[in-house]
Amino acid sequence: MNQLRIADGSVYDPANAVDGDARDICIEDGRIVASLPDSAPRLDARGMVVMPGGVDMHCHVASSSVNVARRLLPEEHSRHPATAPLLDSATEAPRSGADGTVPTTFTTGYRYAGLGYTTVFDAAVAPIMARSAHSQLDDTPIVDGGFFALLGNDEYLLRLVDSGDRERAREYAAWVLASVGAYAIKIVNPAGVELWKRGTKERTDLDTALGSSRVTPRAILETLVDAVNTLQLPHAAHIHCNNLGLPGNSATTLATMAALDGRRAHFTHLQFHSYGTTPEGRWRSAAREIMDYVNTHQHVSGDVGQVMFGPATTITADAPVEYLLYKSSGRKWANVDIELETGCGVVPHEYRDSNAVAALQWAIGLELFLLSSDPWRLVLSTDHPNGGSFKSYPELIRLLMDRTYRDEQIARVGKKLLAGSALTDGLGREYSLSEIAIITRAGPARMLGLRDKGHLGVGADADVTIYMPDDNRATMFSTPRYVVKGGVLTVEEGHLRRAPTGHRLYVRPSYDQSVTHDIERYFDQYGTVRFANYPVAGLRGSPLPVGAR
Amino acid sequence: MTQPSVTGNVTCLGCGCACDDIEVVVASERIVDARNACQLGRQWFGDGQVPSIIRVDGADVGLEQAVGSAATRLCEAARPLVYLAPGLSCEAQREAVAVADLLRARLDSITSATALIGILAGQEHGSASATLGELRNRADVLLFWGVDLEARYPRFASRYAPGPPGMFTPEGRRSRTVIAVDIERATATVDSDVRVAIEAADELAMLTALEACVRSPDASNNLTSLAERSRNTARELATALLAARYTALVYDAEPDDRSVRTSARFEALTSLGQALNDRTRCAALALRAGGNRSGADSVLVAQTGYPCAIDFARGFPRYVPHDGTVLDILRDRDVDAALVVGDPMGISSDLAHSLSNVRSVVIGPHASDAAWGARGVIIDTGIDGIHVSGTALRTDDVPLPLRATLSAPRSTAETIRAVASNVRRTLLNAHDIESKALGS
Repeated sequence: MNQLRIADGSVYDPANAVDGDARDICIEDGRIVASLPDSAPRLDARGMVVMPGGVDMHCHVASSSVNVARRLLPEEHSRHPATAPLLDSATEAPRSGADGTVPTTFTTGYRYAGLGYTTVFDAAVAPIMARSAHSQLDDTPIVDGGFFALLGNDEYLLRLVDSGDRERAREYAAWVLASVGAYAIKIVNPAGVELWKRGTKERTDLDTALGSSRVTPRAILETLVDAVNTLQLPHAAHIHCNNLGLPGNSATTLATMAALDGRRAHFTHLQFHSYGTTPEGRWRSAAREIMDYVNTHQHVSGDVGQVMFGPATTITADAPVEYLLYKSSGRKWANVDIELETGCGVVPHEYRDSNAVAALQWAIGLELFLLSSDPWRLVLSTDHPNGGSFKSYPELIRLLMDRTYRDEQIARVGKKLLAGSALTDGLGREYSLSEIAIITRAGPARMLGLRDKGHLGVGADADVTIYMPDDNRATMFSTPRYVVKGGVLTVEEGHLRRAPTGHRLYVRPSYDQSVTHDIERYFDQYGTVRFANYPVAGLRGSPLPVGAR
Repeated sequence: MTQPSVTGNVTCLGCGCACDDIEVVVASERIVDARNACQLGRQWFGDGQVPSIIRVDGADVGLEQAVGSAATRLCEAARPLVYLAPGLSCEAQREAVAVADLLRARLDSITSATALIGILAGQEHGSASATLGELRNRADVLLFWGVDLEARYPRFASRYAPGPPGMFTPEGRRSRTVIAVDIERATATVDSDVRVAIEAADELAMLTALEACVRSPDASNNLTSLAERSRNTARELATALLAARYTALVYDAEPDDRSVRTSARFEALTSLGQALNDRTRCAALALRAGGNRSGADSVLVAQTGYPCAIDFARGFPRYVPHDGTVLDILRDRDVDAALVVGDPMGISSDLAHSLSNVRSVVIGPHASDAAWGARGVIIDTGIDGIHVSGTALRTDDVPLPLRATLSAPRSTAETIRAVASNVRRTLLNAHDIESKALGS
């Protein structure tokens, strides 16, 4: 199918200031075009809601660490088998797999497309493991995908931070991205993961020294954030702050934001970093303090990392957090220290609405959403599968759009557990469809610097999701009527019919070639992989442009 | 003889170490040297000569015909099996899983007969591990538990630990304490500072005692299951381990001696590795043998959710590690056709014997050398990593590139893909005929 006119739908395209107007969306050869001849095939979308395809900017779906989790959960997979979809196309063999909180590769692609998502990013890949991330993305059909490279605890980078050579650090970061085919730079618990590898299990504050007093989370953050912004990478430095999940960590989060004041930076899964303490030392919500800062600082963006009640699997490079969770929950625990770069920890988890901490986490996430004054700068995520599965996004959208439903859920959880949360003070806001379109597609696409995604203007990728309106917004968003990916009708009448291969999204920034001599020496001195074998060759497609923001 | 050419940075799949610093010297289309390689590596590279035979039921045929016959036979089978022998790139492994899924076949690999018991222990409790570079750079105490490095992982000590200097172990071997534990005949062949010999019958009690000492210093007075001498040994070992900044616990995931492959043993090793993290840092590493075995596990986990012993009969993967491994189903004669991919020389003799009773399709390097497959479809291919490029995983799941240094008539991955598309066509046609019959 080369042409398609999606006729007369109510179009929500906030990037182009279209708010529910009846419009035709014209598609030719995988892109949105201004017009089509009347003879072009037509899809009647009268009475339906038309949005750009969803963009998940932060999830864990394709990495060696995700595979550690998959391997750890045979009992969950057994409970959630996934048969192959009945595809129409003779070219793509439909594949079976396993579902649950960490679905297998093919099933992941089908499920995302089935929810109307057409672009996903794995938020945490150790560069040395990049080949495995690429091969898993190759097996994740339909969606366009990429990943962020972990650099906040990279030994070579830490040495450059120690020597104060920020220019060289920037060139090194560019070299890593270009070598492994990553899209953005991720910083996870800067210095804290390395401290864990050195045997420390204490909290890490912004000025905690790592060996040298010059190497601190603050210095690492400044170095990498400046590197990203000088390189003009399409996406800001993607920051997972220190002290994730610990009571009182909002102080660390606010200090981190202040340390980077005026610089473009993205703070991820803010819910996990918005915990205060009461004078008695109990957990409390610090969502208001965090949002006061975010709302008034234009350079800051974030995603929420909402917790949803039910089963989850925690997968993170923040390995010390997983150790603490293992000790406190008694669940099984997998840890992998990844040489010279980062860590990896996995613990299965269950968020119960009867558990005070889980209830507060749930409430804090909702507070962040409801207190946000700019949906373009605070977008939807569950940090899948950490806070909950991506498959719970429709339920989350319902909580945001439907105050009556939300109040029922608050009442069910009980005010006792939610004491101190702004939710119980009558935060009455309801998200509009246009705002949902922002926090699930237009906003993440803009944050990621994806110029051809998240909108339906002429020249955009023809990634389009069409929903049948329903008062139950969870129903509406869980079963799109049609999903078009790159001009291909993948979901028809609510059924997945085609599963084309997605594109790889990555950047290849240029760097000063002379830095590689010392990197090669470092590989010889401390590595176990030859310098020549580190870069990933033969990636699909071409890199996205850097610098032309 | 032509001028020899040298290709550097070649990855070896002779064992799970996957050394990627091999210099392969080729002259007149033969490998004449594999510099830096150990004896296992040299054996793995060989001279790079592979047969190029394509046969159906003993008769030479063209590739297309063989692929067609393979697909027909697999589609006709009621209970087909897809078996991954060692020696496949991850790319070829991915193609093989696709065929199994299409056929609703059983799917298994060398893992079920080797490392499965240890994997099950890890699935029950998790594990605390690391990639090998962390051992090189951090491990100041290394405990080698009955692992025969010299015979099975010959360059482990010189490439990873204890030999080379690392970031926090600047003096290399001298920066580390090496403890070797010999379990009767299972000698930990490594240059050690401390060597302890224990009876095989005491192994589990010793591991349990060690863990008890690690978890609670008081426990050491209370180890009644052990003799006095062994109690002292447990105390001393625990003290040495706890003195470490970073301990590495290295053992064999698939020791030759099958009698030691008990789940209790692997659970005890895993549990000790986790417990040490309460008092210091520890990474436990279970070493895998050659031929990209870790890659097979990883590919199967990514695509199906399980590392081996899978049954697709119901249209989705089911994990049947306790009664559905390849040996179980062959013994029960619950297989009527087998697609065996990879190097058939890597198949154990008991498995080869069982396979000789089944209609088979063998696709891999030296497929024509497998006497048990002679009555079926045979397609010789090149060796991944010698004739075909791709990806393989080191024993610690670090992915490495495979570099082709010789040309081959065809690759395993492409051949499997051709079979898969034939299978798909056959199944779609069958489905069409069925639909028409139902419609009329």
